[in-house]
Amino acid sequence: MSDAFRKGARAGWADFLPMSVGLIPWAVVTGIAMRSIGLSPVEAMGMNLIVYAGTAQLGTLPLIATGAPLWLIFVTALVLNLRFVIFSAAIAPAFHDHHWARRVSASYLLVDGVFAVGADKMLGAREPEWRWGYFIAPSVWCWCLWQVFVLVGVLGAEIVPRDWSLEFMVTIALMLLMIPMARTRPMLLAAVAGGLGAVLLRDLPLRLGLFAGIAIGIASGFVAEHWQTRRAER
Amino acid sequence: MSDGLTLWLTFAAIGVTTLMTRGSFIMLGEKARLPAALHRALRYAPAAALSALVVPDILLDGGQLQPLNPKLLAAVVVVVVALRWRNPWLPFILGMGVLIALRKGLGW
Repeated sequence: MSDAFRKGARAGWADFLPMSVGLIPWAVVTGIAMRSIGLSPVEAMGMNLIVYAGTAQLGTLPLIATGAPLWLIFVTALVLNLRFVIFSAAIAPAFHDHHWARRVSASYLLVDGVFAVGADKMLGAREPEWRWGYFIAPSVWCWCLWQVFVLVGVLGAEIVPRDWSLEFMVTIALMLLMIPMARTRPMLLAAVAGGLGAVLLRDLPLRLGLFAGIAIGIASGFVAEHWQTRRAER
Repeated sequence: MSDGLTLWLTFAAIGVTTLMTRGSFIMLGEKARLPAALHRALRYAPAAALSALVVPDILLDGGQLQPLNPKLLAAVVVVVVALRWRNPWLPFILGMGVLIALRKGLGW
């Protein structure tokens, strides 16, 4: 372990530590939510280890619960994870001078929080080992925290009575992910159009209404942003 | 719910989307760039997808539009609480509380 790596690791961990506490309720709720649709503790922790993406886990639970076809679950997870393409594109230069094994682990570990806190510093740092330390320390910390508190939720779900409609926790969690996104008007429009589109087109075959809704939502947001910038330019 | 092998296959498929999206540009290396228009459109994907999952769940009951139902009222409470207070547990506690009270207390 080089000195630069250790310095980077310490800096990254210190920057991320305060916000990592915010993960705890999410992890606990995700654990309970996975159990609420009938996954066993082993299945729930298996999903948590394999997927390691809270939004995609929570978003696909209602589909898994109703026995939706695999392709539908796959495409839904893909859409929910699409934001990572943006993160990946933004942070990629920080990994260009690293070995592929490191890039593969970064592909598994890159989460919203670490990206939000550390992307700028990583892109600005010239020393590769410092950069790697700065990324990997908070990422591994985040992974451990997530696994431990999901396990707390998974085991804690046992003590909640069966008839408490716990599956509604999934809906609450998805709403809470959505609320901070809807701060700008185009984003709010994308959400409203996506939701109403999915409701109005619910009778389409193969549950295509879900994707039609998503497509309508993305298009609405995109067009609204376009108009907004055009108006601002005038 | 699907079980056994199908379930683990499902997890693997969802896991693939995590690796594919997070890894996309990190694995592609230096040459790849994300086109600006695509970048802008992608930003709307999560909000649109989350809403397309949530809204039918709180507005429909057995495939029928049900403008007044316990889930919708609980959802309204969740939104108000989340906008008003910063406590991360509160929306879950109050949202679940309202739903359970309406369903079990009032038999709705």
